[in-house]
Amino acid sequence: MQQIAAAFNAAHAKEGLHAELTFFPDFQYTEKLAVAAAAHDLPDVFDLDGPLVTRFADAGLIAPIGEWFTADELADFLPTIRAQGTVHDHLYTLGAFDSAAVIYYDRAMLAAAGVNPPAGQKAWTWAEFVAACARLKAAGMEPLALHLDESSDEWFTYAFSPVIWSGGGRLIEPQTSRVRGVLASAANIRSLSAWQELFRRGFAAADPVDPDPFGNGKVAMDWNGHWVARSHLRRKGDRLGVMPLPVLETPAAPCGSWCWAISARARHPAAAARWLHWVTADATGIIPIVRANGAVPARRSAFAAFPEYAGSPYRLFRIQLETVAQTRPRTPFYATLTQRFAAALRDIAHGADVAARLHAAEDEVQRVIDRREPPEARQ
Amino acid sequence: MTAWQKSFSRRAPLLLLPALGLLAVFVVWPLARAAYWSFTSADLLAPERARWIGWDNYSDLLGDPRFRQAFGNTAIFALLIVPIQTAAAFLLALWINRPEPAWRWLRTVFFLPTIVAMPVLAVVWTVLYQPAEGTEMGLVNAALGLAGLAPRAWLRDPHLALPAIAAMSVWQGVGLQMMVFLAGLQGIPREQLEAARMDGAGPLQRVFHVILPGLRNTVIFVVTVTTILAFRLFVQPYLMTRGGPGNRTLSLVQSIYETTFLNQDLGRACAEALLFLGWVALLTWLQRTAAREERA
Repeated sequence: MQQIAAAFNAAHAKEGLHAELTFFPDFQYTEKLAVAAAAHDLPDVFDLDGPLVTRFADAGLIAPIGEWFTADELADFLPTIRAQGTVHDHLYTLGAFDSAAVIYYDRAMLAAAGVNPPAGQKAWTWAEFVAACARLKAAGMEPLALHLDESSDEWFTYAFSPVIWSGGGRLIEPQTSRVRGVLASAANIRSLSAWQELFRRGFAAADPVDPDPFGNGKVAMDWNGHWVARSHLRRKGDRLGVMPLPVLETPAAPCGSWCWAISARARHPAAAARWLHWVTADATGIIPIVRANGAVPARRSAFAAFPEYAGSPYRLFRIQLETVAQTRPRTPFYATLTQRFAAALRDIAHGADVAARLHAAEDEVQRVIDRREPPEARQ
Repeated sequence: MTAWQKSFSRRAPLLLLPALGLLAVFVVWPLARAAYWSFTSADLLAPERARWIGWDNYSDLLGDPRFRQAFGNTAIFALLIVPIQTAAAFLLALWINRPEPAWRWLRTVFFLPTIVAMPVLAVVWTVLYQPAEGTEMGLVNAALGLAGLAPRAWLRDPHLALPAIAAMSVWQGVGLQMMVFLAGLQGIPREQLEAARMDGAGPLQRVFHVILPGLRNTVIFVVTVTTILAFRLFVQPYLMTRGGPGNRTLSLVQSIYETTFLNQDLGRACAEALLFLGWVALLTWLQRTAAREERA
C-alpha cells in the first residue's frame, strides 16, 4: 500500500497532489473508524468493509462517487463490487478486489471413498452433498471443515448466508428493516436444520482445534474462502479440486470485501477521487494489490494480468461473482444483524433448537432496529 | 503554625490545580458528556443529530431482556467468584505463609497466572475445556475420564459455561488476593499467635479468633476489589464463548461494547455505562458501610 501511495505521489507531484496514508495500528479498525466519524475526524478518503457501506451512507458520512467515473469505467467493475457500493441507487464505494467462497476438495481422498465430484463448474445438490459426506465418513475419513473455531463473527455470516439464500430465505427485509418473521422464516428453519445435520451426523467438527484441517490432510473437503487458495494449491497441487457451495434450491454464493469511500466532509473531494481512481485502476492499484493479497480482481480488464483465472480453482471465483454471488444484506443495521446471526449459528452448530434460536435472534435484532428507527418513522 | 506552614497552606489550592485540571478534563468532563448523552438518542456516527428523550434509554434498558440477562449473568459470576476466590486466596496464603525459602517458589507458581495476559489464558482454557473426542479432547475432560466421568461440553452447555468461566477466573485471579492476604498475615504479631497457642487454642481457633480478626481490613479490601473486578468481566467470555450459548455468558461490559460499536446507539450505551458505574459504586459503598458498622 505504501508503494502504491508513493507511486501516486510521484505521478501527481506536478499538480501538487499528495496522498498521506494513515494505518491504524493494531486491530479494531472499524471501531476506530466509528470514533473518528463521531469526532468529525474522518480522512478525506478511507477504506471500509463492504457490509458497512449502507450504514455510513445512511449516517451521511460518505459522498456519492458516481460522478467521478465514466459509465464505461463503471461497467468494467464486477457487478458485485458495484452492488456492494450502491445505496438508494447512488454509488458510494469502489474496491480493488472482491472475494469468493467455495468448497475445496482433495481428489485423491474423494476417489478413495468412491465419491465422484460434480463435473465442470457445477454444484452438488444438498442431498448429493450430504450423501458424499456420509460416504467419506463411512470410509473412515473426516468429511468436512466448516471452521467453527473462527473467532470473527463475519466468517459465519459470510460463509453461511448462502445456505439461507439457497433455501429461498433472507436475513432481513432491507427496505423495511424487518427481521421478525424474516430471519426465523420456515424456509430458514429448514435450511439451517439441514446445515445443523452436518454437525449432528459428525460430518464437520463443531469444536475444531486445527485451523487448517484440510491443508493438514485431516479432512476431505473445505468450505472456505478465496484467501486459502494459494496455500491449498501449494500443499495439494493437482489433488486440489474446487466446486461451488451445495445448492438447497437455487445456487448462491457470497461476495464483498474492503472498499474505498470519500468522506462527505472531504476538504478535497476531487483529489480524493483521483486516489480512488488510482487504487482501482488495473496497473496502479488492482494488479499490485491482488498480487499481494491474492483476492479476486475487481475489474474485468484486470483478469488479463492473472493467467491463473483461466484454470482451477480461480476460474470458479470469477464465474460466481459474475453470476450467482450476492452481497450480504445492505442495511444500516448490519453490524448488529451479523453478530446476532453468528451467535445463533454457533449455538445451532452445537445442537440448539433451530426455530427457537432463530426466533430469539430475530427478536433481539428487531428490538435494536425499532429503537433506532421506530416503525412509524419508516416510509 | 510556623510561617512556612502558613505560606504553604495558602499555596495549597494553587498546587492542587494541575491535578484537578487533569481530573476535570479526563474524568469529570467525559462523565458529564456521557450523562448528557444518556438522555438523548445520540447516534455514534452522527452525535449531532441527538434528540433529548429524557429517561427513555433508562426505562427501556430496565425492560430489555438482553440487558437484564447481561446483568444477571454478571451478578451470578460475582456471586460465584467473590466468596470462592476470597476463601481460596486466604487458604493459599495460610498454607504458604512459611519462613523457609523453599516455599517461596509456591508463591511464584500461584501468582504466575495473574501476570499472564488474559487473552492468552482464555485461549489456553478454551483448549483445556475442549469437548472433542479422541486426541483433541481437552485436559479437563481427559482428567474427568480418568475419574470415570463422562466428558462435558463445558463452554457449550448453557448450564456449565458460566461456572466454567468462573472457575477459570478464580484460578487466574486468586494469586493477587493471595499476595494481599500474605502481606496481611505477616502483619499479625507472632506474639499473639504464640500466646494463643500457649493458652491452648487449636489451629482452627487460632484462625477464627486471632488471624481473621487481625485481617479484618485486608478481608474488606479483598472482597471490595474482587467484587469490582468481577463486575468488569469481559475478556474471558468474549473470547471463549462470545457471550453464548444463548446469551448465558453475556457480560455487562460486552453488552455496553455491543451497544456502542455494533448498534452504535451512543445514548443508550452511555445509559448502560452509567447504570453500571452507579451499581458498582453502590456495592462498594454498601460494603464499606457494613464494614464500618461492624467496627463500631
